[in-house]
Amino acid sequence: MAVRVLVVEDEKKTASFIRKALQAEGFAVDVCDNGADALAAPSATPYDAVVLDIMLRGRDGLSVLRQWRQHHNAIPVLLLSARGEVTERVEGLDAGADDYLPKPFALVELIARVRALTRRGPENKFSVLRVADLTLDTVTHRAQRAGVEIELTAREYRLLEFLMRSAGRLCGRMMILEKVWDYDFDPNTNLVNVYVMRLREKIDANFEPKLVHTVRGTGYVLRETP
Amino acid sequence: MTIRTRMTVWYCVALLISILLTLVLALDELRERKHGEKASKGMEELVGVVVWVGIPAVLLSIGGGWWLMHKALAPVATLTEAARRVTESNLNKELPRSRNGDELDQLSAVLNEMTSRLHQSFKRIREFTLHASHELKTPLTILCGEAETEMHHESLSSAERERSVNRLEELRRLARIVDGLTLLAKADSGLIPLASAPVHLEELVQDSFADTQVLAQASGLSVKLTTCEEAIVRGDPHRLRQLLLNLVDNAVKYNQQGGSVVMDLRARNGTAELTITNTGLGIAPEGLPHVFERFYRGDPAHSHEVDGCGLGLSIAEWIVTAHRGTIQIESTPSKFTTVTVRLPLLSEMTKVS
Repeated sequence: MAVRVLVVEDEKKTASFIRKALQAEGFAVDVCDNGADALAAPSATPYDAVVLDIMLRGRDGLSVLRQWRQHHNAIPVLLLSARGEVTERVEGLDAGADDYLPKPFALVELIARVRALTRRGPENKFSVLRVADLTLDTVTHRAQRAGVEIELTAREYRLLEFLMRSAGRLCGRMMILEKVWDYDFDPNTNLVNVYVMRLREKIDANFEPKLVHTVRGTGYVLRETP
Repeated sequence: MTIRTRMTVWYCVALLISILLTLVLALDELRERKHGEKASKGMEELVGVVVWVGIPAVLLSIGGGWWLMHKALAPVATLTEAARRVTESNLNKELPRSRNGDELDQLSAVLNEMTSRLHQSFKRIREFTLHASHELKTPLTILCGEAETEMHHESLSSAERERSVNRLEELRRLARIVDGLTLLAKADSGLIPLASAPVHLEELVQDSFADTQVLAQASGLSVKLTTCEEAIVRGDPHRLRQLLLNLVDNAVKYNQQGGSVVMDLRARNGTAELTITNTGLGIAPEGLPHVFERFYRGDPAHSHEVDGCGLGLSIAEWIVTAHRGTIQIESTPSKFTTVTVRLPLLSEMTKVS
């Protein structure tokens, strides 16, 4: 059964491209354009996740979210906001949101986050992550490619761990900055590109097949096939 | 009572006292003469009268006048001092008023009305910037989303794909500018509360030093951290990291092939002092006073070689000021540029509070 996502967004064009992008990724998507209708929607249809805009005409997103949580509806919620300030992120998470994305966002980020929210079952619990012949021991922090030991700095380790945990999925720049650097702002540097380049030199330069792939303008993905 | 009335009354009183004094002494003199003493002491007598009556009267008038003027104009000094302290950020603070209805009190009232009108205008401009940046975000979200969707179309030729990637990159740049503007507009209106936690600045500096080494590799720069003393400040760790990244990123971007970046953190006399020195074109002396202004670009000939939103240093200045610190830039064109950030150390701040 397809994973079902509800998009609550009153701006028609935004709602439309979010719907298209999620559908292209195999999600079943319903769109709701106001807070009042959104209120009852999750109890009528069992959704796997909700993309909820804060600024809605009439009833705003945060109050809808609070209402859901008051009725013990634990549906995973990704908040969208045009204001995008740290305080609002905190306010949103306090109200019971699972994740938060400031506008304007990259679609890759949105998709990656929705996917993370709808991932069923526990995360990979193995202490050793493996993609092709690349392994990463999350306990000893040792990385090996085809049995060859690879030296990593602390930051490179965190980056590789994040990419390997999301193996096969596109990772956006913002998401990497947030998870690896703990930055909740866009620092406007090519920090991520440079680190990915270094990582690539270490794990890909002398090996085949190449594992780290760049998707221009959007982000990176770690997988066996190009 | 107006100052004019008050001064007139005071002056008349002082004048009357002098005249009375002169009259009393003169009458005394006349009485002595009537009692048969020789009437022809002449000049000496006259000089006596002038010395004993005239000079004290004149001195009294001068002293009284000085005292009167001083008393009347004292509020002007207070007013001047208060007006001197008025800046964009404290326009809503009123000038002191005596409330006795005199000319100076009226002047204070008028000045207060003026600053309050200015305050309203500034507020309107800030609100406008804030609303404008909010309003820009919706169309930007749509444009970015559509450009990104289009980019993934299978049917695109490589030239078309290249064009759409370029368009997306420009849109993202625009989005960053709007983000920066929103941040500054909110900061101006005091809408961004900052965390206030003890922060180990040396750890943040070490982190950004590691990032700088990586960033600098591509242009073959050497990066050094000469000193890194323990420096605990009170503040918002996220914002301080943003500040550091902002500064080192500039130091790398505005550098030259084979140049260097030198970082240094010291804790001295209750102040954490961070300096970041980089080689490169530098900033012309006439540009230095403007580097923290929004969208200021030093040399227009070189400004487009570097990708930046033109708000980085304004944001850096806001972060430093919000942490009760100072930031300054010195530059020797074609040689090096040094940014110095000073933040109060935690121990000093506790002593103060």
